[in-house]
Amino acid sequence: MNAALVVEALKLRRSPVGLLATCALLAGTLLLLGGITAAVVEGNPQIIAKAGPAASLDWSGLTAGAAQITSAGALIAFGVVLAWMFGREFADGTITGLFALPVSRGRIALAKLAVYAGWVLLVSITLPLGVLALGLLLGYGHPGAEVWRSLARLCLLTALTGAAAAPVAWVTTLARSLLAGVGTTILLVVLAQVGVLAGSGGWLPLAAPALWALSGGQAVDPVQLALTVALALVSATLTGTAWSRLQLDR
Amino acid sequence: MLSFHGVTRAFRTGAGVHRLTFQLGEGEIVALIGLNGAGKTTLMRLALGMLRAQQGTVRLFGRPLPSLPTAAWSEVGALVERSTAYPELTVAENLDIARRLRGGARHVVTAAITAWQLDQLTDRRYRTLSQGNRQRVGLAAALQHQPRLVVLDEPSNALDPASVLLLRAELLRRARAGAAVLVSSHHLDEVARIADRVLLLNAGRLIGTLDTTGPDLERAFFERIRTDDELRRAQEPA
Repeated sequence: MNAALVVEALKLRRSPVGLLATCALLAGTLLLLGGITAAVVEGNPQIIAKAGPAASLDWSGLTAGAAQITSAGALIAFGVVLAWMFGREFADGTITGLFALPVSRGRIALAKLAVYAGWVLLVSITLPLGVLALGLLLGYGHPGAEVWRSLARLCLLTALTGAAAAPVAWVTTLARSLLAGVGTTILLVVLAQVGVLAGSGGWLPLAAPALWALSGGQAVDPVQLALTVALALVSATLTGTAWSRLQLDR
Repeated sequence: MLSFHGVTRAFRTGAGVHRLTFQLGEGEIVALIGLNGAGKTTLMRLALGMLRAQQGTVRLFGRPLPSLPTAAWSEVGALVERSTAYPELTVAENLDIARRLRGGARHVVTAAITAWQLDQLTDRRYRTLSQGNRQRVGLAAALQHQPRLVVLDEPSNALDPASVLLLRAELLRRARAGAAVLVSSHHLDEVARIADRVLLLNAGRLIGTLDTTGPDLERAFFERIRTDDELRRAQEPA
């Protein structure tokens, strides 16, 4: 298992998709926050209207903006990376090299998911730190207790959004297609939006983390949030099983 | 070391292999020859657990494949269809990945780089290599851990004459060391040089062996295929 972990970590670290997704999640979010701040300072009425709580030039506006951007965009970035990690083995034909090995395919799949989880955790920790640095740079002063709570919520929101993308790994494996994984990512985003519009977002594991973070932890209870973790665990089990049973028959 | 007993695997397209029975022992080189679609790759995929048999038993190291301990696969080296490696990684990194997954010592990568004359390419990304060099990397990855069972599907594809010589020497060396080698090829002269037995595969069935000491291998090959085709056609219901 250790060998598989090292190998999967190297593959993600050197993959352009992993690098681009990391940049999009970290630098992209911070640049957007900087852009929103600049527009609010200039008094742009359209941006101020659209940004809502994020339009305030203080810590609460900054953390609300970060939560909004992460809620809207992170699922796409996480889903694309998962689709790449699993789908590239079929697209590049490297899946044949993952047979006849003393490491089972089930373990290789779990190693992929473990490396993905590690990467999500890294992004989840780095993003709030980046927002903190941006706030200090913008001169918002010493962060108080509520700011730290908002940053902690941002960290958990990012991690849970990463967990919500887990079904992408399973569908990519079943379809043996990178594009199917990307398509599933888009479907998950649409389902999350529809769930929120239908008023059932709190019970929808795909939407619950965003609703929880955007409401300051009020709109969603811990049981509903735990469903997101359950979805990730079920998806990981299904993915591991699918890899164990995999045959190259098509 | 490897045995097939009545192994059948059919596909919806009608292709596949039917009631295959053969054995491959220690120190033996067995070549598989047949036309495209004869079932060579399917047979190799069955041997490597990439496909499961619908009937019959594939045994590796004396044990049926489904009950083979995962660790036993460290004794197997394989390259099926074409060399595949991670395009964004270098040659050395790809070889190191293969080594790590098979549990080999670190020095085997250096030895493989020397043996397959990849010294000038170690830091090159795999995607920048020519087909011939990719094949050499694939062969190095498959054989660097000195496997006891070698399964290679058309390994001389895209290789230059010098690399073909390297491959031939390596397979003979592995067999002398006691490894069992199963290799498929379209190059009849090449298999005649190295194989102890040449199995003929046609329409998914093993139809016998080819005598490699005869004067005209190609003619003998095509006559066997034609005879088998005529026999099958005669047996088909009208």
